[in-house]
Amino acid sequence: MLHLVFRKTVLALVTVFVVIVLSGTLIHLVPGDPITAMMAHSMTVPPEAMASMRSRLGLDLPVWQQVGLYAWRVLHGDLGTTIRGNEPVLNLLMQRLPNTLLLAVSGLAVALLIGIPSGFLAAVYRGRATDNVIAVVAVFGVSVPAFWTGLIMIQIFALKLGWLPVAGSGWRNLILPSLTLGLTYCALVARMTRSALLEVLGEDYIRTARARGLREHQILFVHALRPALISIVTVIGLLFAYLLGGQVIVESVFSWNGIGRLAVQAMLARDYPMIQGFIVVFATSVVVVSSSVDVLYSYLDPRIRTR
Amino acid sequence: MIHSSAQSKKIRRQLPATIAIGAGIASFLVVAAILAPFVAPYDALKMAAGPRLSAPSGNHLFGTDDFGRDLFSRVLIGARLSLGIGIVAVISGLVAGGLLGLFAAFGGRHVEAVLLRLIDVLYSFPDTLVALILVAFLGPGIENATVAITISLIPFYARVTYGLAVRERAKPYVEAARLAGIRSARLVRVHIMPNIGHSLISMATLGFSSAILSAAGLSFLGLGVQPPSPEWGAILASGRNYITKAPWILIFPGLAIFVTVLSFNLIGDGLRDLFDHRRKTP
Repeated sequence: MLHLVFRKTVLALVTVFVVIVLSGTLIHLVPGDPITAMMAHSMTVPPEAMASMRSRLGLDLPVWQQVGLYAWRVLHGDLGTTIRGNEPVLNLLMQRLPNTLLLAVSGLAVALLIGIPSGFLAAVYRGRATDNVIAVVAVFGVSVPAFWTGLIMIQIFALKLGWLPVAGSGWRNLILPSLTLGLTYCALVARMTRSALLEVLGEDYIRTARARGLREHQILFVHALRPALISIVTVIGLLFAYLLGGQVIVESVFSWNGIGRLAVQAMLARDYPMIQGFIVVFATSVVVVSSSVDVLYSYLDPRIRTR
Repeated sequence: MIHSSAQSKKIRRQLPATIAIGAGIASFLVVAAILAPFVAPYDALKMAAGPRLSAPSGNHLFGTDDFGRDLFSRVLIGARLSLGIGIVAVISGLVAGGLLGLFAAFGGRHVEAVLLRLIDVLYSFPDTLVALILVAFLGPGIENATVAITISLIPFYARVTYGLAVRERAKPYVEAARLAGIRSARLVRVHIMPNIGHSLISMATLGFSSAILSAAGLSFLGLGVQPPSPEWGAILASGRNYITKAPWILIFPGLAIFVTVLSFNLIGDGLRDLFDHRRKTP
């Protein structure tokens, strides 16, 4: 177990380091001069200011030194400062990270609350009408763009019916964005639950349980559901990454004050240090969650531990 | 063999259900996109083709937008943009990702370790987010959006191709071919590709769906195709301010995205069930 935790930690650190290096090189994708591109929106900038910005970002150094410098700074907790306002990137991101995590967790809860029971029903009634209906709804679900669902929900629940606020922060504001996120990803959860449960239902010990005359609901809820849920835990890490990614757009639709909206604003304003900082914080959150899920999984399922 | 004949009967029964519906809708969309300039009742960019923000009617099937442009014509012409971006991104992404995946599987142990790590890191980022980040650095516009979406699909295709190739690599015939002295490049070309090609086709279709969604998302946020181009996501973004006054500006382009993505998802899921018996659609 300790060995596994150690291995996961090393792997997580390597991943974050790779992301930091990639993020550092991204600025060289900018066609032409990044400083000119960043300043495209503002009025004439004195050449001295451009030169000082250049040296602040280390753009006057050779490429490998720039990337090295960027990685060195990030590893020391310095994500740089924003182009406009000159504020520390890390502070801005950390201020908004709780909002983003709150929305991610509640979106995940919606996805699991809808997805797991539907997947369960689909597996139990495999090949029958219930299964087919759920399959159709699921393929519809993965085909709807999240920002469209969000806008339609704003139109119906906030503007027409006036039940919920359009945007802002607070628990009432949390409902519509979490529903939007949750509905987008519940189809995925339903599909995974269905296949996990079907796999378990094919195991020998389930047949034994049936042969011994156990009631069907006892087999389903006691013997089959638990191992199936354990294997769903593994994909929660991946799901979390997708939720966080989808949140970039959903936060913008609902003006939710999270790091996703901050990132989009930075992208529109071409505030490169801010975008790079977002990438690092995003990747770190995803890596922390998915490695914790992996460790949790092996704790729950002893068969993995010994592998 | 009773088992396999039952299976093929099942496939024949399933084929019309998902793939046929998906292919039907998709071919209709492709034809509509090709014929769009001849079928569209108005110029998609022409302002004041009708009164501003007028509701759907006989003159304007989908209504008009805030500049009085005909929404039906805009959505129709928009199909060319969305499908065009999707086709270019999927073909180039599949070629690049496929080669990368094959190289990881057959390039030797060290190449495999390094490439796989890199692919997995990139794969842990959702594809739309990768496209967004890239376009933020490359700059907005249709060409850059296409490049960004292409790159965002590479990790997915590389991962899938690698998985398929590794499964194939373990089979006895590959070992036999190796013992017969066939080199990796020829082995991949002559023996591996024909065996994994069909699975790649279903993956290509599913990638097409996510390319369309990414393109719409990018334009919706103002980072992809720029107004006044009638890209579906861009039309949606322009309708945000008229959400109560003119909901049709939101409804029709959204439906267009939904139907397009749905049709390719239906084809992709169907093909995957058909080709890949071991990994049925969950």
